Amino acid sequence: MSEHSIEVNHLVKKYGGFTAVNNISFTVAKGDFFGFLGPNGAGKTTTLRILSTLLRKTSGEVKVAGYDVDREPNAVRRKIGFAMQDISLDNLASGWENLQLLGVLYGLSPADARKRAGELLGVVGLSKVADKWVTSYSGGMRRRLDLAGVLMHDPEILFLDEPTQGLDPQARRIIWDYLRKLNNEGSTVVLTTHYMEEADALCRELAFIDKGTIVRSGTPAKLKAQLGGEQIILTFGSADQAEKAIAVVTPLLEKETPAVTENRLQATVKEAGKIAPKVITKLESAKLFPASINITQPTLEDIFVKLVGHTIQEEDESNLIKGRDPFVEGRM
Amino acid sequence: MQTLNFLREIKYLFIRGLKQSLRPVPALIPSLFMPAFFLIIFSAAFTSLINLPGFSGKSYLVFYAPVAILQAIFFSSGDAGIDLVVDITSGYFDKLLIAPIRHVSIIIGKLIGVGLRAAVQAGIVILIILLMGGKIVTGLPGLLVILLLGGLFGMAWSGIGMTIALLTKNQRATQSSFILFFPFTFITTAQLPLSLLSGWYKTAVQLNPVTYILEAFRSLTSNGWQTHTIWVGFMVAAGVAVLTIGSTLLSFRKTVS
Repeated sequence: MSEHSIEVNHLVKKYGGFTAVNNISFTVAKGDFFGFLGPNGAGKTTTLRILSTLLRKTSGEVKVAGYDVDREPNAVRRKIGFAMQDISLDNLASGWENLQLLGVLYGLSPADARKRAGELLGVVGLSKVADKWVTSYSGGMRRRLDLAGVLMHDPEILFLDEPTQGLDPQARRIIWDYLRKLNNEGSTVVLTTHYMEEADALCRELAFIDKGTIVRSGTPAKLKAQLGGEQIILTFGSADQAEKAIAVVTPLLEKETPAVTENRLQATVKEAGKIAPKVITKLESAKLFPASINITQPTLEDIFVKLVGHTIQEEDESNLIKGRDPFVEGRM
Repeated sequence: MQTLNFLREIKYLFIRGLKQSLRPVPALIPSLFMPAFFLIIFSAAFTSLINLPGFSGKSYLVFYAPVAILQAIFFSSGDAGIDLVVDITSGYFDKLLIAPIRHVSIIIGKLIGVGLRAAVQAGIVILIILLMGGKIVTGLPGLLVILLLGGLFGMAWSGIGMTIALLTKNQRATQSSFILFFPFTFITTAQLPLSLLSGWYKTAVQLNPVTYILEAFRSLTSNGWQTHTIWVGFMVAAGVAVLTIGSTLLSFRKTVS
Protein backbone atom coordinates (compact mmCIF):
# COMPACT_ATOMS: atom_id res chain seq x y z
CA MET A 1 0.00 0.00 0.00
CA SER A 2 1.09 3.51 -0.75
CA GLU A 3 2.23 5.67 2.11
CA HIS A 4 0.31 8.50 0.49
CA SER A 5 -3.36 9.25 0.92
CA ILE A 6 -3.36 11.40 -2.17
CA GLU A 7 -1.18 11.28 -5.27
CA VAL A 8 -1.70 13.87 -7.98
CA ASN A 9 0.41 13.93 -11.12
CA HIS A 10 0.20 16.60 -13.81
CA LEU A 11 -3.43 17.42 -13.08
CA VAL A 12 -5.07 19.74 -15.59
CA LYS A 13 -8.62 21.05 -15.64
CA LYS A 14 -9.78 23.20 -18.53
CA TYR A 15 -13.11 24.87 -19.15
CA GLY A 16 -13.08 25.56 -22.86
CA GLY A 17 -10.09 27.84 -23.40
CA PHE A 18 -9.67 28.63 -19.71
CA THR A 19 -7.26 26.57 -17.62
CA ALA A 20 -8.47 26.44 -14.02
CA VAL A 21 -5.84 23.94 -12.85
CA ASN A 22 -2.59 23.98 -14.73
CA ASN A 23 -0.44 20.87 -14.49
CA ILE A 24 -0.14 20.50 -10.74
CA SER A 25 1.50 17.58 -8.96
CA PHE A 26 1.60 16.90 -5.24
CA THR A 27 1.26 14.15 -2.67
CA VAL A 28 -0.30 14.09 0.75
CA ALA A 29 1.08 11.61 3.25
CA LYS A 30 -1.23 9.46 5.35
CA GLY A 31 -2.23 11.29 8.51
CA ASP A 32 -0.99 14.64 7.25
CA PHE A 33 -2.72 17.99 7.59
CA PHE A 34 -2.35 19.58 4.19
CA GLY A 35 -3.50 23.03 3.14
CA PHE A 36 -4.07 24.77 -0.15
CA LEU A 37 -3.56 28.45 0.34
CA GLY A 38 -4.47 30.93 -2.34
CA PRO A 39 -6.86 33.67 -3.37
CA ASN A 40 -10.42 33.02 -4.48
CA GLY A 41 -10.44 31.74 -8.04
CA ALA A 42 -6.93 30.27 -7.79
CA GLY A 43 -8.05 26.69 -8.48
CA LYS A 44 -8.31 25.36 -4.92
CA THR A 45 -11.97 24.37 -5.06
CA THR A 46 -11.65 22.92 -8.55
CA THR A 47 -8.81 20.72 -7.32
CA LEU A 48 -10.83 19.51 -4.33
CA ARG A 49 -13.85 18.80 -6.51
CA ILE A 50 -11.70 16.64 -8.77
CA LEU A 51 -10.18 14.81 -5.79
CA SER A 52 -13.65 14.16 -4.38
CA THR A 53 -14.97 12.78 -7.73
CA LEU A 54 -17.41 15.65 -8.21
CA LEU A 55 -15.63 17.05 -11.24
CA ARG A 56 -13.97 15.24 -14.12
CA LYS A 57 -10.38 16.23 -14.84
CA THR A 58 -9.11 17.14 -18.28
CA SER A 59 -5.87 15.21 -17.91
CA GLY A 60 -3.39 13.89 -15.38
CA GLU A 61 -3.52 11.17 -12.79
CA VAL A 62 -5.28 11.41 -9.45
CA LYS A 63 -5.33 8.69 -6.82
CA VAL A 64 -7.14 9.06 -3.54
CA ALA A 65 -6.73 6.40 -0.86
CA GLY A 66 -4.99 4.32 -3.51
CA TYR A 67 -7.95 4.42 -5.94
CA ASP A 68 -8.10 6.19 -9.28
CA VAL A 69 -10.82 8.86 -9.14
CA ASP A 70 -12.06 8.10 -12.66
CA ARG A 71 -11.94 4.32 -12.63
CA GLU A 72 -13.10 3.61 -9.07
CA PRO A 73 -15.10 6.65 -7.97
CA ASN A 74 -17.30 4.79 -5.47
CA ALA A 75 -14.23 3.27 -3.78
CA VAL A 76 -12.86 6.80 -3.41
CA ARG A 77 -16.22 8.08 -2.11
CA ARG A 78 -16.30 5.48 0.67
CA LYS A 79 -12.91 6.70 1.93
CA ILE A 80 -13.50 10.44 1.83
CA GLY A 81 -15.64 13.07 3.48
CA PHE A 82 -16.04 16.43 1.77
CA ALA A 83 -17.22 19.56 3.58
CA MET A 84 -17.95 21.91 0.74
CA GLN A 85 -17.51 25.65 0.79
CA ASP A 86 -21.25 26.27 0.68
CA ILE A 87 -22.82 24.37 3.54
CA SER A 88 -25.05 21.78 1.93
CA LEU A 89 -27.81 20.45 4.14
CA ASP A 90 -31.39 19.33 3.68
CA ASN A 91 -33.00 22.45 5.11
CA LEU A 92 -36.46 20.93 5.44
CA ALA A 93 -35.16 18.14 7.65
CA SER A 94 -33.92 17.95 11.21
CA GLY A 95 -30.31 17.48 12.30
CA TRP A 96 -31.14 13.84 13.03
CA GLU A 97 -32.67 13.24 9.62
CA ASN A 98 -29.77 14.88 7.82
CA LEU A 99 -27.20 12.67 9.51
CA GLN A 100 -29.16 9.44 9.41
CA LEU A 101 -29.82 9.66 5.67
CA LEU A 102 -26.12 10.15 5.00
CA GLY A 103 -25.33 7.23 7.28
CA VAL A 104 -27.58 4.77 5.44
CA LEU A 105 -26.42 6.02 2.04
CA TYR A 106 -22.87 5.21 3.13
CA GLY A 107 -23.96 1.68 4.01
CA LEU A 108 -24.69 1.87 7.75
CA SER A 109 -27.75 0.04 9.03
CA PRO A 110 -30.54 2.37 10.25
CA ALA A 111 -29.71 1.44 13.86
CA ASP A 112 -25.99 2.11 13.38
CA ALA A 113 -26.74 5.34 11.52
CA ARG A 114 -28.90 6.52 14.41
CA LYS A 115 -26.23 5.60 16.97
CA ARG A 116 -23.48 7.31 15.01
CA ALA A 117 -25.65 10.38 14.40
CA GLY A 118 -26.34 10.61 18.14
CA GLU A 119 -22.61 10.45 18.93
CA LEU A 120 -21.70 13.09 16.39
CA LEU A 121 -24.53 15.44 17.34
CA GLY A 122 -23.10 15.30 20.85
CA VAL A 123 -19.56 15.90 19.65
CA VAL A 124 -20.54 18.99 17.64
CA GLY A 125 -22.80 20.26 20.45
CA LEU A 126 -26.11 20.02 18.61
CA SER A 127 -27.91 17.35 20.65
CA LYS A 128 -30.41 19.85 22.05
CA VAL A 129 -31.50 21.08 18.62
CA ALA A 130 -31.23 17.75 16.81
CA ASP A 131 -35.01 17.49 16.31
CA LYS A 132 -35.39 20.96 14.86
CA TRP A 133 -35.31 21.71 11.17
CA VAL A 134 -31.99 22.95 9.92
CA THR A 135 -33.58 26.21 8.72
CA SER A 136 -33.64 27.33 12.37
CA TYR A 137 -29.87 26.79 12.86
CA SER A 138 -27.30 29.61 12.99
CA GLY A 139 -24.40 29.70 10.52
CA GLY A 140 -22.02 28.13 13.05
CA MET A 141 -24.50 25.37 13.90
CA ARG A 142 -25.05 24.62 10.22
CA ARG A 143 -21.30 24.35 9.66
CA ARG A 144 -20.96 21.97 12.61
CA LEU A 145 -23.83 19.81 11.39
CA ASP A 146 -22.32 19.78 7.92
CA LEU A 147 -19.04 18.63 9.39
CA ALA A 148 -20.82 15.95 11.43
CA GLY A 149 -22.44 14.70 8.20
CA VAL A 150 -19.05 14.43 6.56
CA LEU A 151 -17.89 12.26 9.47
CA MET A 152 -20.86 9.87 9.54
CA HIS A 153 -19.00 7.08 7.74
CA ASP A 154 -15.73 7.73 9.60
CA PRO A 155 -13.75 8.67 6.46
CA GLU A 156 -10.00 8.18 6.20
CA ILE A 157 -9.52 11.42 4.31
CA LEU A 158 -11.28 14.71 4.95
CA PHE A 159 -11.60 17.43 2.34
CA LEU A 160 -12.59 20.80 3.71
CA ASP A 161 -13.19 23.71 1.38
CA GLU A 162 -12.89 26.99 3.29
CA PRO A 163 -14.26 25.31 6.43
CA THR A 164 -14.47 28.43 8.58
CA GLN A 165 -15.45 31.05 6.05
CA GLY A 166 -17.98 33.46 7.48
CA LEU A 167 -17.70 32.13 11.03
CA ASP A 168 -17.01 34.26 14.07
CA PRO A 169 -13.67 33.75 15.88
CA GLN A 170 -15.19 31.56 18.60
CA ALA A 171 -16.93 29.24 16.12
CA ARG A 172 -13.74 29.13 14.07
CA ARG A 173 -11.74 28.09 17.15
CA ILE A 174 -14.20 25.24 17.87
CA ILE A 175 -13.84 23.93 14.31
CA TRP A 176 -10.05 24.21 14.45
CA ASP A 177 -9.86 22.27 17.70
CA TYR A 178 -12.05 19.54 16.30
CA LEU A 179 -10.07 19.27 13.08
CA ARG A 180 -6.85 18.96 15.08
CA LYS A 181 -8.45 16.21 17.14
CA LEU A 182 -9.52 14.30 14.04
CA ASN A 183 -6.08 14.63 12.57
CA ASN A 184 -4.46 13.45 15.79
CA GLU A 185 -6.72 10.41 15.67
CA GLY A 186 -5.33 9.48 12.27
CA SER A 187 -7.48 11.21 9.66
CA THR A 188 -5.72 12.79 6.73
CA VAL A 189 -7.02 16.33 6.34
CA VAL A 190 -6.83 18.47 3.22
CA LEU A 191 -8.23 21.96 3.46
CA THR A 192 -8.37 25.01 1.31
CA THR A 193 -8.32 28.42 2.83
CA HIS A 194 -7.48 32.00 2.08
CA TYR A 195 -7.01 32.75 5.76
CA MET A 196 -3.26 32.83 6.44
CA GLU A 197 -3.66 32.37 10.18
CA GLU A 198 -5.82 29.30 9.61
CA ALA A 199 -3.21 27.69 7.40
CA ASP A 200 -0.48 28.61 9.88
CA ALA A 201 -2.42 27.29 12.87
CA LEU A 202 -3.50 23.97 11.37
CA CYS A 203 -1.42 22.75 8.45
CA ARG A 204 1.79 20.75 8.61
CA GLU A 205 2.20 20.95 4.83
CA LEU A 206 1.16 23.83 2.65
CA ALA A 207 0.90 24.53 -1.04
CA PHE A 208 0.56 28.09 -2.30
CA ILE A 209 -1.70 28.05 -5.34
CA ASP A 210 -2.26 30.93 -7.72
CA LYS A 211 -3.76 31.01 -11.21
CA GLY A 212 -4.11 27.23 -11.22
CA THR A 213 -0.46 26.56 -10.45
CA ILE A 214 1.30 25.48 -7.27
CA VAL A 215 3.75 28.28 -6.71
CA ARG A 216 5.59 26.70 -3.77
CA SER A 217 4.95 23.99 -1.20
CA GLY A 218 6.47 22.82 2.06
CA THR A 219 6.05 23.12 5.80
CA PRO A 220 5.07 26.57 7.10
CA ALA A 221 8.51 26.85 8.77
CA LYS A 222 10.32 25.88 5.58
CA LEU A 223 8.30 28.32 3.53
CA LYS A 224 9.02 31.12 5.98
CA ALA A 225 12.72 30.30 5.92
CA GLN A 226 12.65 30.73 2.17
CA LEU A 227 11.90 34.43 2.62
CA GLY A 228 15.43 34.81 3.91
CA GLY A 229 14.91 35.15 7.64
CA GLU A 230 13.27 37.51 10.09
CA GLN A 231 12.22 41.10 9.87
CA ILE A 232 14.23 43.67 11.87
CA ILE A 233 12.35 46.94 12.35
CA LEU A 234 13.92 50.11 13.80
CA THR A 235 11.72 53.06 14.70
CA PHE A 236 13.34 56.49 15.07
CA GLY A 237 12.14 59.79 16.47
CA SER A 238 12.13 61.36 13.01
CA ALA A 239 12.24 60.46 9.34
CA ASP A 240 15.53 62.35 9.07
CA GLN A 241 17.18 60.04 11.61
CA ALA A 242 15.83 56.98 9.80
CA GLU A 243 17.32 58.23 6.52
CA LYS A 244 20.70 58.79 8.19
CA ALA A 245 20.59 55.30 9.71
CA ILE A 246 20.47 53.61 6.27
CA ALA A 247 24.13 54.20 5.56
CA VAL A 248 25.12 53.05 9.05
CA VAL A 249 23.06 49.86 9.06
CA THR A 250 23.40 48.67 5.46
CA PRO A 251 26.95 47.18 5.79
CA LEU A 252 25.63 44.83 8.51
CA LEU A 253 22.71 43.52 6.46
CA GLU A 254 24.09 40.88 4.09
CA LYS A 255 23.63 42.76 0.82
CA GLU A 256 20.07 43.85 1.63
CA THR A 257 19.24 47.53 1.53
CA PRO A 258 16.73 48.40 4.24
CA ALA A 259 13.41 49.93 3.31
CA VAL A 260 12.41 53.21 4.97
CA THR A 261 8.83 54.24 5.58
CA GLU A 262 8.67 57.66 7.30
CA ASN A 263 10.56 57.07 10.59
CA ARG A 264 10.68 53.26 10.28
CA LEU A 265 13.57 51.31 8.85
CA GLN A 266 12.92 47.68 7.97
CA ALA A 267 15.10 44.87 6.64
CA THR A 268 15.03 41.08 6.27
CA VAL A 269 17.96 39.25 7.87
CA LYS A 270 18.84 35.63 8.50
CA GLU A 271 19.99 35.85 12.10
CA ALA A 272 18.32 38.89 13.53
CA GLY A 273 19.25 37.96 17.12
CA LYS A 274 22.97 38.17 16.31
CA ILE A 275 22.78 41.22 14.08
CA ALA A 276 20.55 43.41 16.30
CA PRO A 277 23.20 44.14 19.02
CA LYS A 278 25.74 45.06 16.34
CA VAL A 279 23.21 47.40 14.72
CA ILE A 280 22.55 49.15 18.03
CA THR A 281 26.27 49.56 18.79
CA LYS A 282 26.91 50.99 15.34
CA LEU A 283 23.97 53.38 15.59
CA GLU A 284 25.13 54.59 19.04
CA SER A 285 28.58 55.38 17.72
CA ALA A 286 26.89 57.38 14.93
CA LYS A 287 24.82 59.14 17.62
CA LEU A 288 21.56 57.70 16.28
CA PHE A 289 19.22 56.31 18.90
CA PRO A 290 16.19 54.29 17.76
CA ALA A 291 13.04 54.64 19.87
CA SER A 292 12.39 50.90 19.44
CA ILE A 293 13.82 47.82 17.81
CA ASN A 294 11.58 44.88 16.89
CA ILE A 295 12.38 41.47 15.48
CA THR A 296 9.41 39.63 13.87
CA GLN A 297 8.95 36.30 12.15
CA PRO A 298 7.73 36.57 8.56
CA THR A 299 4.08 35.66 8.08
CA LEU A 300 2.76 33.36 5.38
CA GLU A 301 1.24 36.49 3.85
CA ASP A 302 4.77 37.94 3.47
CA ILE A 303 5.91 34.77 1.72
CA PHE A 304 2.87 34.70 -0.55
CA VAL A 305 3.34 38.31 -1.60
CA LYS A 306 7.04 37.72 -2.24
CA LEU A 307 6.35 34.64 -4.37
CA VAL A 308 3.23 35.74 -6.23
CA GLY A 309 3.45 39.51 -6.27
CA HIS A 310 0.02 40.23 -4.81
CA THR A 311 -1.84 39.61 -1.58
CA ILE A 312 -4.00 36.56 -1.00
CA GLN A 313 -7.07 38.74 -0.56
CA GLU A 314 -6.95 39.82 -4.20
CA GLU A 315 -9.26 37.53 -6.12
CA ASP A 316 -8.18 36.06 -9.40
CA GLU A 317 -10.45 38.19 -11.53
CA SER A 318 -9.66 36.35 -14.74
CA ASN A 319 -11.49 33.39 -13.27
CA LEU A 320 -14.41 35.41 -11.97
CA ILE A 321 -14.94 37.31 -15.20
CA LYS A 322 -15.28 34.09 -17.11
CA GLY A 323 -18.01 33.06 -14.65
CA ARG A 324 -17.03 29.46 -14.23
CA ASP A 325 -19.99 27.24 -13.51
CA PRO A 326 -19.14 23.68 -12.52
CA PHE A 327 -22.74 22.55 -13.12
CA VAL A 328 -22.66 23.70 -16.69
CA GLU A 329 -19.10 22.63 -17.29
CA GLY A 330 -19.72 19.05 -16.26
CA ARG A 331 -18.66 16.78 -13.47
CA MET A 332 -19.13 13.26 -12.34
CA MET B 1 -26.16 -7.88 -3.06
CA GLN B 2 -25.63 -4.95 -5.42
CA THR B 3 -29.31 -5.04 -6.41
CA LEU B 4 -30.27 -5.08 -2.74
CA ASN B 5 -28.04 -2.06 -2.10
CA PHE B 6 -29.58 -0.29 -5.08
CA LEU B 7 -33.11 -0.93 -3.80
CA ARG B 8 -32.02 0.21 -0.35
CA GLU B 9 -30.64 3.46 -1.74
CA ILE B 10 -33.84 4.07 -3.69
CA LYS B 11 -35.92 3.39 -0.58
CA TYR B 12 -34.09 5.96 1.56
CA LEU B 13 -33.97 8.56 -1.20
CA PHE B 14 -37.69 7.98 -1.86
CA ILE B 15 -38.49 8.58 1.82
CA ARG B 16 -36.36 11.70 1.85
CA GLY B 17 -37.91 12.99 -1.41
CA LEU B 18 -41.43 12.36 -0.09
CA LYS B 19 -40.69 14.21 3.15
CA GLN B 20 -39.18 17.08 1.14
CA SER B 21 -42.26 17.33 -1.07
CA LEU B 22 -44.63 17.36 1.93
CA ARG B 23 -42.75 20.07 3.84
CA PRO B 24 -43.75 22.61 4.94
CA VAL B 25 -47.36 21.43 5.17
CA PRO B 26 -48.92 24.87 4.37
CA ALA B 27 -47.13 24.73 1.00
CA LEU B 28 -49.42 21.82 0.07
CA ILE B 29 -52.54 23.93 0.34
CA PRO B 30 -52.42 25.53 -3.16
CA SER B 31 -52.02 22.14 -4.83
CA LEU B 32 -55.24 20.96 -3.16
CA PHE B 33 -57.07 24.27 -3.12
CA MET B 34 -56.81 24.93 -6.85
CA PRO B 35 -58.47 21.71 -8.06
CA ALA B 36 -61.19 22.06 -5.42
CA PHE B 37 -61.70 25.73 -6.36
CA PHE B 38 -62.09 24.98 -10.08
CA LEU B 39 -64.39 22.07 -9.30
CA ILE B 40 -66.71 24.18 -7.14
CA ILE B 41 -66.74 27.20 -9.48
CA PHE B 42 -67.14 25.35 -12.77
CA SER B 43 -69.72 22.85 -11.51
CA ALA B 44 -71.80 25.83 -10.31
CA ALA B 45 -71.22 28.06 -13.36
CA PHE B 46 -71.83 25.50 -16.09
CA THR B 47 -74.79 23.63 -14.55
CA SER B 48 -77.00 24.38 -17.59
CA LEU B 49 -74.50 22.92 -20.05
CA ILE B 50 -75.65 19.41 -19.22
CA ASN B 51 -78.79 20.08 -21.26
CA LEU B 52 -76.66 20.08 -24.41
CA PRO B 53 -76.46 16.83 -26.36
CA GLY B 54 -73.35 14.82 -25.51
CA PHE B 55 -73.57 15.27 -21.74
CA SER B 56 -75.99 12.34 -21.33
CA GLY B 57 -77.97 14.36 -18.78
CA LYS B 58 -75.45 13.89 -15.97
CA SER B 59 -74.51 16.75 -13.64
CA TYR B 60 -71.64 19.05 -14.62
CA LEU B 61 -69.96 18.07 -11.34
CA VAL B 62 -69.84 14.49 -12.58
CA PHE B 63 -68.53 15.64 -15.96
CA TYR B 64 -65.87 17.94 -14.45
CA ALA B 65 -64.73 15.66 -11.61
CA PRO B 66 -61.95 13.94 -13.64
CA VAL B 67 -60.53 17.38 -14.50
CA ALA B 68 -60.16 18.11 -10.79
CA ILE B 69 -58.34 14.81 -10.34
CA LEU B 70 -56.06 15.66 -13.24
CA GLN B 71 -55.33 19.10 -11.80
CA ALA B 72 -54.42 17.59 -8.43
CA ILE B 73 -51.86 15.45 -10.24
CA PHE B 74 -50.50 18.40 -12.23
CA PHE B 75 -50.08 20.54 -9.13
CA SER B 76 -48.50 17.82 -7.00
CA SER B 77 -46.02 16.58 -9.59
CA GLY B 78 -45.09 20.08 -10.75
CA ASP B 79 -43.21 20.57 -7.45
CA ALA B 80 -40.67 17.84 -8.26
CA GLY B 81 -38.62 20.15 -10.48
CA ILE B 82 -38.62 22.84 -7.79
CA ASP B 83 -37.48 20.36 -5.14
CA LEU B 84 -34.68 19.20 -7.41
CA VAL B 85 -33.47 22.68 -8.31
CA VAL B 86 -33.47 23.61 -4.61
CA ASP B 87 -31.17 20.64 -3.98
CA ILE B 88 -28.93 21.66 -6.86
CA THR B 89 -28.61 25.31 -5.90
CA SER B 90 -28.14 24.54 -2.19
CA GLY B 91 -25.32 22.09 -2.93
CA TYR B 92 -27.23 19.16 -1.41
CA PHE B 93 -27.30 17.48 -4.80
CA ASP B 94 -23.47 17.42 -4.72
CA LYS B 95 -23.62 15.82 -1.29
CA LEU B 96 -25.72 13.01 -2.74
CA LEU B 97 -23.40 12.70 -5.74
CA ILE B 98 -20.35 12.04 -3.57
CA ALA B 99 -22.14 9.32 -1.61
CA PRO B 100 -21.11 5.85 -2.81
CA ILE B 101 -24.44 5.13 -4.46
CA ARG B 102 -25.70 4.62 -8.00
CA HIS B 103 -26.49 8.16 -9.04
CA VAL B 104 -29.63 7.17 -10.89
CA SER B 105 -31.20 6.17 -7.56
CA ILE B 106 -31.45 9.91 -6.76
CA ILE B 107 -33.90 10.35 -9.67
CA ILE B 108 -35.71 7.03 -9.22
CA GLY B 109 -36.27 7.70 -5.51
CA LYS B 110 -37.67 11.12 -6.35
CA LEU B 111 -39.95 9.73 -9.08
CA ILE B 112 -41.48 7.14 -6.77
CA GLY B 113 -42.12 9.87 -4.20
CA VAL B 114 -43.76 12.02 -6.88
CA GLY B 115 -45.97 9.12 -8.01
CA LEU B 116 -47.11 8.38 -4.47
CA ARG B 117 -47.82 12.02 -3.71
CA ALA B 118 -49.79 12.41 -6.96
CA ALA B 119 -51.88 9.36 -6.11
CA VAL B 120 -52.51 10.58 -2.55
CA GLN B 121 -53.50 14.08 -3.71
CA ALA B 122 -55.77 12.59 -6.36
CA GLY B 123 -57.33 10.50 -3.59
CA ILE B 124 -57.94 13.62 -1.48
CA VAL B 125 -59.62 15.38 -4.41
CA ILE B 126 -61.80 12.29 -5.01
CA LEU B 127 -62.87 12.53 -1.39
CA ILE B 128 -63.87 16.16 -1.97
CA ILE B 129 -65.81 15.10 -5.09
CA LEU B 130 -67.65 12.45 -3.09
CA LEU B 131 -68.43 14.96 -0.34
CA MET B 132 -69.88 17.30 -2.99
CA GLY B 133 -72.23 14.57 -4.15
CA GLY B 134 -70.16 13.11 -6.98
CA LYS B 135 -69.63 9.39 -7.55
CA ILE B 136 -67.03 6.93 -8.77
CA VAL B 137 -69.21 4.63 -10.84
CA THR B 138 -66.56 1.93 -11.09
CA GLY B 139 -66.36 1.68 -7.28
CA LEU B 140 -63.32 0.74 -5.26
CA PRO B 141 -61.55 -1.14 -8.08
CA GLY B 142 -62.04 1.91 -10.30
CA LEU B 143 -60.68 4.16 -7.56
CA LEU B 144 -57.51 2.05 -7.36
CA VAL B 145 -57.09 2.23 -11.14
CA ILE B 146 -57.52 6.04 -10.99
CA LEU B 147 -54.79 6.26 -8.34
CA LEU B 148 -52.52 3.99 -10.40
CA LEU B 149 -53.00 6.04 -13.55
CA GLY B 150 -52.65 9.23 -11.51
CA GLY B 151 -49.36 8.04 -10.04
CA LEU B 152 -48.03 7.09 -13.46
CA PHE B 153 -49.04 10.37 -15.05
CA GLY B 154 -47.69 12.28 -12.03
CA MET B 155 -44.27 10.72 -12.57
CA ALA B 156 -44.48 11.47 -16.29
CA TRP B 157 -45.41 15.12 -15.75
CA SER B 158 -42.69 15.62 -13.13
CA GLY B 159 -40.11 14.71 -15.76
CA ILE B 160 -40.68 18.07 -17.49
CA GLY B 161 -39.89 20.12 -14.38
CA MET B 162 -36.93 17.91 -13.46
CA THR B 163 -35.48 18.18 -16.96
CA ILE B 164 -35.70 21.98 -16.83
CA ALA B 165 -34.20 21.93 -13.31
CA LEU B 166 -31.23 19.85 -14.45
CA LEU B 167 -30.63 21.84 -17.62
CA THR B 168 -30.99 25.35 -16.16
CA LYS B 169 -30.17 24.94 -12.45
CA ASN B 170 -32.39 27.94 -12.05
CA GLN B 171 -35.42 28.18 -9.79
CA ARG B 172 -37.35 30.73 -11.83
CA ALA B 173 -36.82 28.85 -15.08
CA THR B 174 -37.97 25.64 -13.41
CA GLN B 175 -40.98 27.33 -11.88
CA SER B 176 -41.96 28.69 -15.30
CA SER B 177 -42.74 25.13 -16.45
CA PHE B 178 -45.98 25.69 -14.51
CA ILE B 179 -47.45 27.54 -17.50
CA LEU B 180 -47.55 24.26 -19.44
CA PHE B 181 -50.37 23.29 -17.12
CA PHE B 182 -52.81 25.63 -18.89
CA PRO B 183 -52.66 24.36 -22.49
CA PHE B 184 -52.30 20.75 -21.45
CA THR B 185 -55.29 20.94 -19.07
CA PHE B 186 -57.66 23.19 -20.93
CA ILE B 187 -57.05 22.21 -24.56
CA THR B 188 -58.75 18.94 -23.75
CA THR B 189 -62.27 17.71 -23.22
CA ALA B 190 -62.15 19.36 -19.80
CA GLN B 191 -65.13 21.69 -20.36
CA LEU B 192 -67.03 20.04 -23.21
CA PRO B 193 -67.20 16.55 -24.67
CA LEU B 194 -65.36 15.97 -27.95
CA SER B 195 -68.63 15.72 -29.88
CA LEU B 196 -69.36 19.39 -29.12
CA LEU B 197 -65.97 20.65 -30.29
CA SER B 198 -65.06 21.66 -33.85
CA GLY B 199 -62.37 23.15 -36.11
CA TRP B 200 -58.74 23.61 -35.13
CA TYR B 201 -59.60 23.45 -31.46
CA LYS B 202 -60.99 19.95 -31.83
CA THR B 203 -57.82 18.91 -33.69
CA ALA B 204 -55.64 20.43 -30.95
CA VAL B 205 -57.66 18.59 -28.30
CA GLN B 206 -57.21 15.31 -30.17
CA LEU B 207 -53.46 15.90 -30.45
CA ASN B 208 -53.10 16.66 -26.75
CA PRO B 209 -52.06 13.45 -24.99
CA VAL B 210 -53.64 14.66 -21.75
CA THR B 211 -57.07 14.38 -23.42
CA TYR B 212 -56.72 10.59 -23.43
CA ILE B 213 -55.68 10.45 -19.79
CA LEU B 214 -58.60 12.69 -18.89
CA GLU B 215 -61.01 10.47 -20.83
CA ALA B 216 -59.67 7.43 -19.00
CA PHE B 217 -60.37 9.18 -15.69
CA ARG B 218 -63.83 10.16 -16.96
CA SER B 219 -64.55 6.59 -17.89
CA LEU B 220 -63.60 5.44 -14.40
CA THR B 221 -65.46 8.21 -12.57
CA SER B 222 -68.67 8.53 -14.58
CA ASN B 223 -68.92 6.46 -17.78
CA GLY B 224 -68.07 3.00 -16.41
CA TRP B 225 -65.50 0.40 -17.45
CA GLN B 226 -64.70 1.51 -21.02
CA THR B 227 -61.76 -0.84 -21.31
CA HIS B 228 -60.39 0.62 -24.56
CA THR B 229 -60.49 4.20 -23.26
CA ILE B 230 -58.80 3.22 -19.99
CA TRP B 231 -56.17 1.18 -21.80
CA VAL B 232 -55.41 4.07 -24.18
CA GLY B 233 -55.10 6.38 -21.16
CA PHE B 234 -52.47 4.11 -19.61
CA MET B 235 -50.60 3.73 -22.91
CA VAL B 236 -50.50 7.50 -23.45
CA ALA B 237 -49.35 8.11 -19.85
CA ALA B 238 -46.63 5.50 -20.32
CA GLY B 239 -45.60 7.09 -23.64
CA VAL B 240 -45.37 10.54 -22.06
CA ALA B 241 -43.41 9.01 -19.17
CA VAL B 242 -40.90 7.45 -21.57
CA LEU B 243 -40.35 10.84 -23.20
CA THR B 244 -40.19 13.03 -20.09
CA ILE B 245 -38.39 10.63 -17.76
CA GLY B 246 -36.06 9.75 -20.62
CA SER B 247 -35.20 13.42 -21.04
CA THR B 248 -34.75 13.73 -17.26
CA LEU B 249 -32.30 10.85 -17.23
CA LEU B 250 -30.41 12.23 -20.23
CA SER B 251 -30.18 15.66 -18.58
CA PHE B 252 -29.11 14.01 -15.34
CA ARG B 253 -26.42 12.08 -17.16
CA LYS B 254 -25.20 15.28 -18.79
CA THR B 255 -25.13 17.04 -15.43
CA VAL B 256 -23.21 14.37 -13.58
CA SER B 257 -20.77 13.27 -16.27
